[in-house]
Amino acid sequence: MTETLTEMLIIFIKIVCALVWFLLLTLYLTWLERKESALIQDRLGANRASIFGIRIIGLFQPFADAIKMIFKEDFVPSFSRKFLHTIAPFISFFFVAITIAAIPFGDILRIGNRTINLQILDFNVGLLFVLAMLSLGIYGIILSGWASNNRYTLTGGLRGVAQVISYEVALGLSLIGLIMVYPSLRLSSIVLYQGELLFGFLPKWGIFLQPLGFLVFMFAALAETKRVPFDLPEGESEIIGFFTEYSGLKWGLFMMTDFMEIIIVSTLLTTLFFGGWQVPWLASDGFHFPWGGELMLPHLVVVLLQVAAFNIKVFFFCWLQILIRWTYPRFRYDQVMDLGWKLLVPLSLVNIIGTGIIMTI
Amino acid sequence: MIKALGYFIEIIRGILITTRHFVVNLFFHILKVLGIKTKRKGAVTIQYPEQKKEVASRHRSLHRLMTRKDGKPRCVACMLCVTVCPSECIYVEAAEDPDLEIQKYPAKFIIDLGRCCFCGFCVEACPEDAIRMDTGNVDFAEYSQQDLIYDLDKLIG
Amino acid sequence: MIKIFIDEQQVEVEEGMTVLKAAERAGIHIPHLCYHPAFPPEGSCRMCLVEIEGFPKLELACSTVVKEDMKISIKSARVVEARKAVLEFLLAEHPLDCPICDKAGDCKLQDYYDEYGLFESKFSETKEKREKKLKIGKTLILDQERCILCTRCVRFLKEVTKTQELGVFHRGIDAEVNIYEGAAVLNNYTGNLAQICPVGAITDEDFRFKTRSWFLKEGESICPLCSRGCNILIEYHPGFPRFEVPRRAYRIKARENPEVNGFWVCDRGKYGYSYLEEGRADKIILNKIEGKDVLTWENISEYLGEKIKRVSSAKKTSGIALVLHTWLSNEELFLIHKIFRKGLKVKKIFFADLPQGEADEYLLTSETSPNRRGAQEIGFDIKAVNLDALAKGTDFLLAFGPFLSGLFSLKALKEVLSKVKRKVLISSYLNEVNSLFDIVIPAALIAEKEGSLTNVDGVIQSFKPALEPPGESLPEWKVLADLGKELGTDSKLFEDLNSPGAILGEMGKEIPFFKKK
Repeated sequence: MTETLTEMLIIFIKIVCALVWFLLLTLYLTWLERKESALIQDRLGANRASIFGIRIIGLFQPFADAIKMIFKEDFVPSFSRKFLHTIAPFISFFFVAITIAAIPFGDILRIGNRTINLQILDFNVGLLFVLAMLSLGIYGIILSGWASNNRYTLTGGLRGVAQVISYEVALGLSLIGLIMVYPSLRLSSIVLYQGELLFGFLPKWGIFLQPLGFLVFMFAALAETKRVPFDLPEGESEIIGFFTEYSGLKWGLFMMTDFMEIIIVSTLLTTLFFGGWQVPWLASDGFHFPWGGELMLPHLVVVLLQVAAFNIKVFFFCWLQILIRWTYPRFRYDQVMDLGWKLLVPLSLVNIIGTGIIMTI
Repeated sequence: MIKALGYFIEIIRGILITTRHFVVNLFFHILKVLGIKTKRKGAVTIQYPEQKKEVASRHRSLHRLMTRKDGKPRCVACMLCVTVCPSECIYVEAAEDPDLEIQKYPAKFIIDLGRCCFCGFCVEACPEDAIRMDTGNVDFAEYSQQDLIYDLDKLIG
Repeated sequence: MIKIFIDEQQVEVEEGMTVLKAAERAGIHIPHLCYHPAFPPEGSCRMCLVEIEGFPKLELACSTVVKEDMKISIKSARVVEARKAVLEFLLAEHPLDCPICDKAGDCKLQDYYDEYGLFESKFSETKEKREKKLKIGKTLILDQERCILCTRCVRFLKEVTKTQELGVFHRGIDAEVNIYEGAAVLNNYTGNLAQICPVGAITDEDFRFKTRSWFLKEGESICPLCSRGCNILIEYHPGFPRFEVPRRAYRIKARENPEVNGFWVCDRGKYGYSYLEEGRADKIILNKIEGKDVLTWENISEYLGEKIKRVSSAKKTSGIALVLHTWLSNEELFLIHKIFRKGLKVKKIFFADLPQGEADEYLLTSETSPNRRGAQEIGFDIKAVNLDALAKGTDFLLAFGPFLSGLFSLKALKEVLSKVKRKVLISSYLNEVNSLFDIVIPAALIAEKEGSLTNVDGVIQSFKPALEPPGESLPEWKVLADLGKELGTDSKLFEDLNSPGAILGEMGKEIPFFKKK
């Protein structure tokens, strides 16, 4: 009895920790976006939000944003479908937030004789679960576009759905090569496989085994996040998108979903192609360098190193995505479709065939 | 498809440019935080309310009315500024001055800055050099339109 | 008729004309300052110099009489040069205080400098100091520095008013226009001096520093303040909508009409323009009405017609009384004549006009209203208001004009009018008698409507609106024409009476006096 309770407590703590990590990162990603874009454009970025006159390079900006969004009028147009209009942002938010459950943050943490898996839920179909949840997020888009009962939001929603579904294909196909290499859909196993060495020195990360798959996956994932080079569903400045009729916190949810998608894509890129929490040559008892050196480390340090490695990799990919968003202009819609169907899908097919040929050889 | 591939080089170059800006600017910001003075700054922007850019000598800012030596307005209420004003924001009411050398002075001189377009025609039209736009003051925003209507006292002071 | 050539253009003119007048008749403007068509030429300004073939020197256009085959050049290099030199001499002594000069904008010296001068001043000496602000009359201010000694004012007082209050004193550089010691320009036509002065030497205190002349718009009208019917220009400012400054008339100028007033207007007409704005009614006032909640100009004639029909059917027409005045135009009086005298056979028609005033020997007449002659010619018997006769057996009173309050005390009016069941007033002013009437309808003034007036000599003068009527005010002829249609009196006639012109045409058919000559 106490055993089950402790188990539940542990899972509960894991959920809380993961969600706090996720949401805090989301919050500060908005800060990072402001600051990074400012640095790219030789500006300073948001630096005015202060508490009692203390500014610390605008670190309080996300809170100011949040407070503003909470207190803004939540306007529901009289002509909208009220219930669907209300529920749409929550659907979007929920299906992204839940994906974090399948992501492994680290290996196994041993406290006393109890082993804790640093992953909320270790599915054996973890990869499929993540992909499924990401595609369900489309419902939020199409519902908000349709329920607003405004032809602009509807076309925005349709654009969004068409784009996301198109890239879903490339996204799924690009991972088949990966599954062929690491014969598992369990994300923790995929990460574990990546701890092995290729030719005795190179970690068996997905990027080295599946470079083409990585490229296709990254582009498709970028398109999935619906951010700038692929921001056709919304395009606030000129082409009016699906959440035009939203304001206040509901709009804020869409905004957060955007940033959460960045994080999810980053964790997926990390987990699938960059060894997840793996640190090169770090085994559970310490470093085993390929040139012969060894460095024994206590268990807790190893776990911390692994979690830190995971975080650093995720941060890097978040940074990279923001960099991409502030570098490229938006694609035209036909270019988006061309890129998806005429380039990424064939490339992912080539990747599958190539992987198959190499593996049989 | 081949066309799309051709863009790849440019795509890589683009991201290298933004990365360079990011890294270089970050480097200079860090130097500044560490207290090392450099000629180049991390950002080219000016932090407006605290830092102000010097206005050019020809810049047209808030109007002012010039005065004679004894403090009376130099304006003789000839209403040429009223005539030339394209946004019809000046209103002048003349009165008679006992001094025969002056004769006419403005009893009321009102500029509605809410309507003013800062073209500077009034300054050019003035035969007495009585109105100038060289105060350098550009931040006179108000919460009500009524406060933007400047009268004689405000324009001289 | 003889023919002359002005700049190679052949012009047919009458014999004995001056070159300037001949050119003016042909539509060619020769610049001049001292010449005024009302006086004999003086030739003091020298602006009108022209070159005439066969004459060794340049000649004055204002005083040279035309001859057969005269070849006149007004644009030759010599003339232009001479004109420039004359301007330079005039401006040598003229102060450049145009910014504070009221004449700026319609100053002829300014215009000519702009057109023919545009030289750099070579006059480096100091200008003579003279009197800048000399009060010479009721409202006139003389600035001797600005004076160019054209003597138009002196000649006006000599030729027109024959009072000769101004003269030119001293000689040479010291010459100046001035009043005689201890005297002032005091006659009934002083206002014209400010108008005829070609520069800003004589200005009007009434207009001084109030506005600038280029802001003013002008409208042609007829002065209604006496029965002379002088032709005037009303100069008004359309108002600054941004600063909530409303439309306002600033001055009256005389308009040339040799038949009536020549070039002049009396001081009463010139300065008495406050009636255009002061105390104007601009909304329909409803003190007591039945049936309708809102009366507008659209349904007012319907309402009046209904009331009048009820009275006339029940008690015949002895129950209707009218109070008129002679500020109404010929057309309006004719419509009243048609509807009430001919149609309804109303007997009780009175005229409420202001009492007679003083006349002078020139333009001003003793009559204080403009159209008494017109009323007489239409056939009205002009009876003054008799309050007892007015109220006796009256059920419906239709009164025009604001003058009742000036003729009777409010108490007496109240006593009498309380006996009358329905009372309607059509007036342009907010007045204490307004409270005694059920409905007060705001009407346009003569300056704001179209129509015609018959002056004391029987000259019929048509006029067009010079100003916009304030608020809801509309001319009386409109409501009367509608009322005529409503009542069905002489329906064939009222069918197409849609403009004062049409009404005047009908009048001409009926009354020979109004027939177009």
